[in-house]
Amino acid sequence: MFRYLILFLFIAADTFAGSEITNNNPNKYTVNGFVTDSQTGEELVGAVITVKELTQIGTVTNAYGFFSLTIPEGSYTITAHFTGYQSLSFNINLKQNVKQNFNLVEKSLEQKEIIVTGEKRNDNVTNTQMGTDKLDVKEIQNIPVLFGEKDILKTMQLHPGIKSAGEGNGGVYVRGGGSDQNLILLDEATVYSASHFLGFFSVFNSDAIRDITIYKGTMPAEYGGRLSSVLDIKMKEGNDKQFGVNGGIGLIASRLTVEGPIIDDKASFSISGRRTYADLFLKLSKDSSINQSRLYFYDLNTKVNYQVGENDRIYLSGYFGSDVLGLGNLVGVNWGNATGTLRWNHLFSEKMFSNTSLIYSKYDYNINLNFSGNNITIYSRIQDFNLKEDLHYFIDDENGIKFGLNSVYHTIIPGTVTATNNSQTNSLILKNKYSWENSLYISHEYRPTPIVNIEYGVRFSSFSVVGPGTFYTYDDLGNRLDSLPYSSGKFAKTYFNVEPRVSLTYVLNEESSLKTSFVRSTQNLHLLSNSTSSNPTDMWIPSSNNVQPEIADQISLGYYRNFDDNTYEFSAETYFKALQHQIDYKNGAQLNFNEDVESQLLYGAGRAYGIELFLKKKYGRFNGWIGYTLSRVELKFDGVNNGNYYPARQDMTHDISIVGIYQLSEKWTFSATWVYNTGNAVTFPSGKYDITGQVLNYYTERNAYRMPAYHRLDLGATWQFEKSSLNFSLYNAYGRENAYSIRFQQDPNDPTRTQAVQTSLFRFVPSVTYNFRF
Amino acid sequence: MKIIPFIKNKITLCVFVLMSLLNISCEKVVSIDLNSSSPHIVIEATISDQAGPYIVQLSQTVNFGQTNTFPPVSGAKIILSDNAGNLDSLIETLPGNYKTSTIQGVPGRTYTLTVNTGGNKYVAVSTMPPPVNIDSLSVQVETFGRNQTKYINVNFRDSANVKNYYRFVEVRNGIVQKFTFLYDDRLQDGGSITSSLFADEDTLNTGDNVLVLLQCIDKNVYNYFRTIRQASGNGGPQAASPANPISNFSNDALGYFNACAVRSKLIVIP
Repeated sequence: MFRYLILFLFIAADTFAGSEITNNNPNKYTVNGFVTDSQTGEELVGAVITVKELTQIGTVTNAYGFFSLTIPEGSYTITAHFTGYQSLSFNINLKQNVKQNFNLVEKSLEQKEIIVTGEKRNDNVTNTQMGTDKLDVKEIQNIPVLFGEKDILKTMQLHPGIKSAGEGNGGVYVRGGGSDQNLILLDEATVYSASHFLGFFSVFNSDAIRDITIYKGTMPAEYGGRLSSVLDIKMKEGNDKQFGVNGGIGLIASRLTVEGPIIDDKASFSISGRRTYADLFLKLSKDSSINQSRLYFYDLNTKVNYQVGENDRIYLSGYFGSDVLGLGNLVGVNWGNATGTLRWNHLFSEKMFSNTSLIYSKYDYNINLNFSGNNITIYSRIQDFNLKEDLHYFIDDENGIKFGLNSVYHTIIPGTVTATNNSQTNSLILKNKYSWENSLYISHEYRPTPIVNIEYGVRFSSFSVVGPGTFYTYDDLGNRLDSLPYSSGKFAKTYFNVEPRVSLTYVLNEESSLKTSFVRSTQNLHLLSNSTSSNPTDMWIPSSNNVQPEIADQISLGYYRNFDDNTYEFSAETYFKALQHQIDYKNGAQLNFNEDVESQLLYGAGRAYGIELFLKKKYGRFNGWIGYTLSRVELKFDGVNNGNYYPARQDMTHDISIVGIYQLSEKWTFSATWVYNTGNAVTFPSGKYDITGQVLNYYTERNAYRMPAYHRLDLGATWQFEKSSLNFSLYNAYGRENAYSIRFQQDPNDPTRTQAVQTSLFRFVPSVTYNFRF
Repeated sequence: MKIIPFIKNKITLCVFVLMSLLNISCEKVVSIDLNSSSPHIVIEATISDQAGPYIVQLSQTVNFGQTNTFPPVSGAKIILSDNAGNLDSLIETLPGNYKTSTIQGVPGRTYTLTVNTGGNKYVAVSTMPPPVNIDSLSVQVETFGRNQTKYINVNFRDSANVKNYYRFVEVRNGIVQKFTFLYDDRLQDGGSITSSLFADEDTLNTGDNVLVLLQCIDKNVYNYFRTIRQASGNGGPQAASPANPISNFSNDALGYFNACAVRSKLIVIP
């Protein structure tokens, strides 16, 4: 590790030495600042900054809306552009370093029609990011969804390479990766369980969300810890100019957001809440098994920020969400996430941007059982304390350096069972698992010529399993061979990994480019889940003496082309991903409340490859996109299917999504989405037999069958009036009976036969949502 | 441990209560083109500490689309032996039904069953644990809404400092019930135990004659019955990768060989 550390310092020192020379160049000065929305003061991420006089030079605001551009002395017209906003220009006489903020004004519909020539809108072609999708929350407002609950995760799944396993499965599957292989960040805090109600809704209340970026291929070096993707979700800062209240009343849930300045232009807050109230209808039922039921979830997002001075800004944000289920006093279950982020943005100089974060995140579940005189409480939790430092050094128009470090302390309570004295069950406490994850990264953005853009970097990561704890080794049959006790603070096992990240863009012309990238990523927390739905009791385990870090190497190649003066964007990306140390379960594995859970696991390899086509119309009254993915993901485990490659459950050969939005007038907007995908790979029986009068399924091969193909059309319409709107949607408009599950059972009418029964959910679900704003 | 599947059931149930209220879930019988499989051997064998003869049944799997008639396997050579030097060669009395003639099950002994058929040899080993008496049976009534569920609680004493595995079989009015109830002493070692024979959507009725058998079984047999749930289609949410139960037979045979000590008690449901 020290070798890498020294190497890291050398690279850093070397780079700074080089930058000193650039800095001393007497003819160059820096213009920097923030780009914000003029009405709300919200920072605009990914806004493009251009210089009229220097057509080859430009930059993009970072995750905090900050930019810095170093160019020779002179007189310039500098312009900020952002989709859906009017561009804004300033004339600058650059004889010294200049601070220039841009407050952009949102366009009206008529203005959206007019295409201003000379706007730099081909950033998707020229930047180094590939395999990246960005969603503006404003963009998703018109897309129809289940029960009218706007859902950023579900909308994300309409992009190629990002898949859903259908209703009732909150999992997001990116380029063949498992649902636990996505790093889901809400204001930099890890969200361990991103869905409510077993996966029907995501935990992200879109009223509280500003934007979301998903990296499905080339994760920049500042992200690590998961194999497949990063979903970086940022909460709204809150309007620092005026108070505002907005919200919505929907079929199953209501939302309310309050935001406003604490100190004008200096400090603001935002509080958003959402709660479902379907359970209130349950109370109306005469059947006490229904009216005694509790079934709801809520989300609360809070954020304050304070501009301390010219160069400092502090943010404090928190998220609390929970699902509550219960049947009388017989069973009570609740589970949920809590996160907290304290962030400090600081400008060390006009070129050096720093972000320091202290982050807490937690997922837990609590179960109460009360029956036959037994009173049992079950509890499990995963919790992180995280310190993160990111520095961005804008050297000149050719060079930029990002570097930083990250240290996370994980505590996992795998499960405790507490029983009252008169219960028939004894208490059981599985030992807590402690681990410490550290990483350092550095990456260099380099633009040697206007047509070549390179970003290369490396992330060094270490993962230590820390005592107190007893670690076991197992034989092939899962019996304990040896036990190694470690006391508090002792390192039982440490893994080091070097993760190189390279991406390169070659600009063919103003409208097209080629990009390629290589990424290695590793993962040290693994989710154990052996059921088709997202269960609150699914459990995370850290890497250990038995479980090795999962490793993925991904290489991708893409072609990007804009048409018709950048009105249309087209991209074709292809990727190959090799996976090591993947985890599957032995047949009949006992995953819950098992001290020896690691003896129940199998380790193997995997491979995923595919091609993704994407065509998007960005501007105009009619916009939308078509995405198509052709892909495959296969696993290979000793002892499963004779050690041959077999399709992973999330393997779906074809996947199509079509999204169309038409703005008829200032008042009416119509939308439609259509999705199609090949069914999941599943295990079905190939025969049956009899054991003591019970007919059992006979399985011969894992995942050798397919669920029926899934397809669905959703329609939506939005009627805008004053500051409010009514949103109508029809989910599954042609009533396709998509299979939620297929089970095999004895035919109730003919016991000598067996039948397959398909359960489907959600045919023709209409909904109305009323959204308001004061 | 039954708690977790129980909870998963309840959670799924809650969600489905809501869905059925909103009338958004529906079921239909579909035809699925399943592969055919070549017939595979199924062995079901039990030896207990009760008087013999003991029966071994051999049958075969059939394709899914066929009727539930499972062809017996005749002409097999079956030997049951113990670690005390006893050996019994079984006799086929009905097609696929083989009977012992001399051997007697004794707790503490380890039994080996060897089946030779179609040129293949299948071997299973099972150790008979000491028996445990049922102290009493009681009937529990759980009222939930307008629904009443009656089920039996079995009271017995677990011996401390040994791993014990229990299987309960309910014979209701002379019919063996297909629910398999299991208990292990992982959560409570030693002392008085009450185990509930509670199955979802199943209730006993007044006047039912119920015979409860308490089988003390070994770990491998316990694992077989623990993992049988996911192959039977009932019990818990759909497993992502269902598999055949873990058999204690070699050579990939389906089924089990159970050497168990059995005690029983009868109750009439009030």
